[in-house]
Amino acid sequence: MNGQADVTTIGRGTVVRGRVTGAASLEILGRVEGEVEVQGDLLLDAQGLAAANLSGRRVTIRGAVRGDVVASEAIVLEDGARVVGDVRAPRIAIAAGALVRGYVQTGDAVQPAGGRTRAQPVATPVQRPAASAASAPPRAPARTAPAPASAPSVAAPARPPAQSAAQAAQSSAQTTERITVPRHLTASAQPAATTSAPAASTTKGPPPPVVPVLKKGAKGAMTKKRG
Amino acid sequence: MASTVIGAGITIDGEVTSDEDVVVQGTVRGKLTARDGVTVEHGAVVEADVNGGPLSVAGSITGNITSTDRVDLQPGARVIGNVKATRITIADGAQFKGNVDMDV
Amino acid sequence: MTSGPSCTNKRLVIMAQTRSARGGSSGGNGAGEARIGAGARVRGRIAGDGALTVEGRVEGDIALRGELTVAEGGEVRADTIEVETLVVSGTVDGELRVSGVVHATAGSRVRGNVTGGGTLALDDGAQFAGRIDAEFDLPAELMGSSGGTSGGRRGDRR
Repeated sequence: MNGQADVTTIGRGTVVRGRVTGAASLEILGRVEGEVEVQGDLLLDAQGLAAANLSGRRVTIRGAVRGDVVASEAIVLEDGARVVGDVRAPRIAIAAGALVRGYVQTGDAVQPAGGRTRAQPVATPVQRPAASAASAPPRAPARTAPAPASAPSVAAPARPPAQSAAQAAQSSAQTTERITVPRHLTASAQPAATTSAPAASTTKGPPPPVVPVLKKGAKGAMTKKRG
Repeated sequence: MASTVIGAGITIDGEVTSDEDVVVQGTVRGKLTARDGVTVEHGAVVEADVNGGPLSVAGSITGNITSTDRVDLQPGARVIGNVKATRITIADGAQFKGNVDMDV
Repeated sequence: MTSGPSCTNKRLVIMAQTRSARGGSSGGNGAGEARIGAGARVRGRIAGDGALTVEGRVEGDIALRGELTVAEGGEVRADTIEVETLVVSGTVDGELRVSGVVHATAGSRVRGNVTGGGTLALDDGAQFAGRIDAEFDLPAELMGSSGGTSGGRRGDRR
């Protein structure tokens, strides 16, 4: 009757409502509502149901999840899995019969290969709501980072090519600290440099209606629309 | 034999409801309800009201226990709470503080 | 075999053609296959029927009634890639309007939201970042629960 001391099984006839945590592994054959965060491996069986965010080291999903699935090592969504929520881990495998509705991201970040920034219909996943509300709405040219909360400190030196900053921003939604407004859009604000630029970048939305003129050097900062 | 085992490294803050039996080796805070037996093993910590069938306790329970069957406190058990059961045994070495109601 | 055109026209249309492309990504409708070879670079919009295999580099939208295969080393950057199925072993960046399966193999790098109702298959080792809005229902017990993100239907696109 004694299973391994560090594997927890939530049996098929069991419902847990609340928070499940621990430095152990967990197997869910029943139902969990709430939050699951374990340091070991996590298995959601084919009949398992989770209305919860799931977090583990290696997470295998065979059942149904309404919640985010996050792993420190890898996530495997097997055939029959159904996930409504985000899926994030350094490595993710999704079988052909697994169904997902949400944001899927492998790695700590996926670098846009080649560094070209694109107009994404949605912002990168792990957003602090306050930050994204304060940022400029995603304009194609501006490529403003999704998390400009600490923008003030670096808005002034718009010099660093927007491309690399935006690339860094896009690549690690969590750690983005800077917003770089491409030079051509801050042209009007530049004289005011450090003092007004922070205000501009955090409180104002789009910069003043200036026809974005491509200045030399800003070419790389913009996504060119292709024919 | 047990279908639900809450292992030693796991803490559940909330409600556990099962129509099978439950073995607790870790920590449960909140409420624990099982249709079948409940075993609280040595080292387990339950801070919750426990409802179930036959209960075997070798760990710690702080909360009221309601059983449709018998409750057995093993040596090393530590129970603080009222117990309602059809039968109860308290082994030598078990600690218990609370009322016992065997009037089912 | 042809290594494909190196073309900077604004509009480049590849119609279904029968070439002896190697490997198959035949799209299933027998309309023939087209291929952009490893040394080719295409800038412009590609549209057509049938399957297309990209081994080189494409910058521009792709609209196919068939399967797009981006081979290892191949690269596609577009605003929109509208195809029936997509198999990526190389690099793809763009909105993926796919009705069938988006299959990213190990070593691939894919960035873009999967719209069009398609599903996603990722091999271990694929790199992917994007939203998928596959249409399916969760078991009834989970439908009304809270937790997680706004896993809405396709209309949830932002």
